Amino acid sequence: MAKLDAYGPPGNLDDLDEFGRKAWNTFISDTVDEAIQGPDPHQVLNDSPRPQFYNLTTTDTAPDLQHAPIRWTAFPRIIKITSISDLQRWQRADASRDVQDEYCEWSVSRDDSGKINKVTFTCEGPEYWEILAQTNPDKTVELYQKFISPDVRKEDLFSPSGRYQPRNKWNNSTSHGAMHLIQPNNTLGAEIELAAAATIRRVINGEELTTQQELIACSKYGAAERNSDPHIGAGVNALARQKADITLADPVGLYFDDLSTDGWETPDGSDPKAYWTYLRGDSENRVRAVYAVPADKGFAVGDITIGGRPIEFGAQIADFITIRLTGVACRFGESTAQPHTACKEFPAVELREEGFSAAAFSASGRFLGPRPTLSHRSSRVT
Amino acid sequence: MPDHTQLRRATAWTRTTAVEEVGAARDAGALDETSGHPALDDGLAVDGCGPGSTALEPGRLYRRISGRDDRAWPVSDEELTSLGDPMAVEFFRVGVFPTTVQDLLSRLPATAAASRKVYLVSEAGQVSADAIGERDMRFAITTAVRGSQVDLLVSTQAGGDPQEGFLQVAGWDPEARVFNFYARFESSWVWAGNSWDALEPDSRGKGCFDSHVNGSAVMKELRIPWINWQSERATIRLAEDDPLHHDQLFQQVIGAQQLELTVRSLITRWTAARLAAVTANGVVDHPDRLLRHLFTSTTVNLTSTDRQSSNITADSPDLTLPTGFWLNQDVLFDDLRLSTQAAPPRAPAARYLASVTRFDFRLEEKFSGFSQPGDTFFAFVVPEAAHEDNEVVRQMVRNGLVPAKFAACVLMVDFPNPVFSPARSHLMRYVPITPTNAVELCGKVAQAILDAAGTLSADSPEGRFAEHWQVPDDAWRTVFGQRVDAYLRGVTERIRTESGFDDYVRLAESRRRQFRHMKLNEFELTLPVTNIPPDAPLLAMREDATVAELT
Repeated sequence: MAKLDAYGPPGNLDDLDEFGRKAWNTFISDTVDEAIQGPDPHQVLNDSPRPQFYNLTTTDTAPDLQHAPIRWTAFPRIIKITSISDLQRWQRADASRDVQDEYCEWSVSRDDSGKINKVTFTCEGPEYWEILAQTNPDKTVELYQKFISPDVRKEDLFSPSGRYQPRNKWNNSTSHGAMHLIQPNNTLGAEIELAAAATIRRVINGEELTTQQELIACSKYGAAERNSDPHIGAGVNALARQKADITLADPVGLYFDDLSTDGWETPDGSDPKAYWTYLRGDSENRVRAVYAVPADKGFAVGDITIGGRPIEFGAQIADFITIRLTGVACRFGESTAQPHTACKEFPAVELREEGFSAAAFSASGRFLGPRPTLSHRSSRVT
Repeated sequence: MPDHTQLRRATAWTRTTAVEEVGAARDAGALDETSGHPALDDGLAVDGCGPGSTALEPGRLYRRISGRDDRAWPVSDEELTSLGDPMAVEFFRVGVFPTTVQDLLSRLPATAAASRKVYLVSEAGQVSADAIGERDMRFAITTAVRGSQVDLLVSTQAGGDPQEGFLQVAGWDPEARVFNFYARFESSWVWAGNSWDALEPDSRGKGCFDSHVNGSAVMKELRIPWINWQSERATIRLAEDDPLHHDQLFQQVIGAQQLELTVRSLITRWTAARLAAVTANGVVDHPDRLLRHLFTSTTVNLTSTDRQSSNITADSPDLTLPTGFWLNQDVLFDDLRLSTQAAPPRAPAARYLASVTRFDFRLEEKFSGFSQPGDTFFAFVVPEAAHEDNEVVRQMVRNGLVPAKFAACVLMVDFPNPVFSPARSHLMRYVPITPTNAVELCGKVAQAILDAAGTLSADSPEGRFAEHWQVPDDAWRTVFGQRVDAYLRGVTERIRTESGFDDYVRLAESRRRQFRHMKLNEFELTLPVTNIPPDAPLLAMREDATVAELT
């Protein structure tokens, strides 16, 4: 397979104009290149370069390519393991977008009695919307009006200086709409960095690491507490151990894989899967979905049961949603990259004054740690 | 050397390993006699669902319901007509007897192929093939043959000669609303009974019902991290040159997190069918068969932390031990909705590590001679309240057969012991065993317990139930919730101390020993072994979060 001319937008969405598409390709291509290069080896040990990761626009994909879908559950595992019961975890997951950290966020609509009538899910990365907003603000407003509310105004989404506000009032809660991902770790950049870092093989004390938890503890490419990060890392590393070259399939993105409706029952016996509708993305790469029952059916989402229990939380549906990314591997057995024999680590450094300066804080005000110069937008803070 | 395929298989239809533990199973109090699930017994040799000494004619369906049929009998035309699951309809009724899983799957309608999901499980799945040799991996396959919901489940050996490996099937009959259970023997098939047979005294706990204890689909490791299964939390280790890599079914394997959803739904389906049938005329013929799910542990699930034990170091984050070790959170919090502010107790990783050394945790498989120091792959495996039991309770509460307060009063009698509670099962004696009006059932049981409590100590199970029963209807969720929260606060404090954590390790091992005495204990590598003597007194948790000998 020849090189790609350009990376396509997530889900092959057609919102971007030509300039926007170029900007998107540049963003993905640059992010992939940075991920291949890895961090400065003087500042981070044993985490660079990543020669088994490659850029689809600059490197051919060999005929022996294999696609490797990696799937995980949308419900946030951190909430799951820190809750005492299902009821508690559903309440907590429905309470804030900031805890919905498995590359899937949702917003719940209820009727006057509190019964759920619609749950909207998104797995669109924020970067795409940043670029769309910068290159075509009117289209951005139009999409918000179409998918969130006709009441959306441009000033709701943009600052007075014209800067797009990802956490605007139509996209910052679990009850007033979810246009795209906003949880700080839910970024495409994070996905790319994680995949690249996971291509590094680790042989520690003569034994190659293979399990999810060994790998993430050693390579530190994400948060071990999530469903997604350890699983993505282990999936990619399994390909790397086959001495293949690896990248993320185009279009790079996070996608809905499926909604299972095992044990779901509707009041009229209709197929519960019929009320799951994808709203954005092509047929292979879905990025937005809604669970809602048409008004003429005479019942609402809250009347549907799962395992005999009525749907009271959007999180109950998230239990049944699978998110996916797809890796591509080729040139099996040909890579000459050598495994690292030590884990990723930061050399001891003296904490300098700038560690406490304004630069130590991200644009969103999120503390990035005492090494601001090492912090990377696409890296997860662990 | 014994035949591996008879030692580790999807279900222990023919028992071997457990036989060795029969003697130990005599341990007083180890097994719950009121659960209706027989302990290991000397009749194991005739317990299997296989043909026994019968020579089976190729290409025929036989019936052998263990405990009822002393040998395999050819299924009559009338019997065959009564079997309405996909296996009977697609194969046996039209004279087709697939001999391999590939043959079976390929003959199903195209819609079934589209819905097929394949899973992989092995108790030795995280052990290097070099260390143990034969690892006996199995596929579990689900498919929806006639509709959108799963109605056919297949369990078979992964890899090897498909003609030789075991092949077992559970099929849902939508008319009879039961599962039928089948196994292939060479070129013949044996029907081992249906869901109702799991509940009948003569066949209960025998043959395939030693695993399908209550007549449903079974997945012991039903919760994250789905111990032993390939899942989003763990990938089963496979050597680069393992021929399984080229197996078409292996290439379709997905994570067991999906199987959890399916199995839960199947348990819900059978439980609903069962309750509808036994309450249809307003009279419950066998009240004890229903209420034992509330009072006893008819079976258990296995749970653990989702941390890889060998990856835990002294400076690792705290471990969240499985909530099901402390109490039956699913029923108490999710179904009965006790008010709670609790969080799961967390233990310092250093405490766990020290205990692994102090108690000499290791994995052992006697027949292969395999031994490896350390805990199971996922740390701290323990039995927890079975979803099968909880689902019956949940549905009985939902349809009004059991008032929520009644269920809560029973569970609160000994809530720190979510499984194997002698105090709770003691109350089974007040449950009628004769036909009883459904509306009056729990009232009668409650009155019988209250009557007995008048002459017993306040700390007796009857006395505790009576005390709970006095709590006003509008207050019990708060009152019981406060007690549970206080208990969990006690655990949270004690678990951080050396003596407290070690007590909980001993308690966990005590419950594992009780599990080992169940027929459900099919594989030696399911649980770790320790240096705690096998004849050490069994233990129980108390409400003050201390551990004491089981009485």
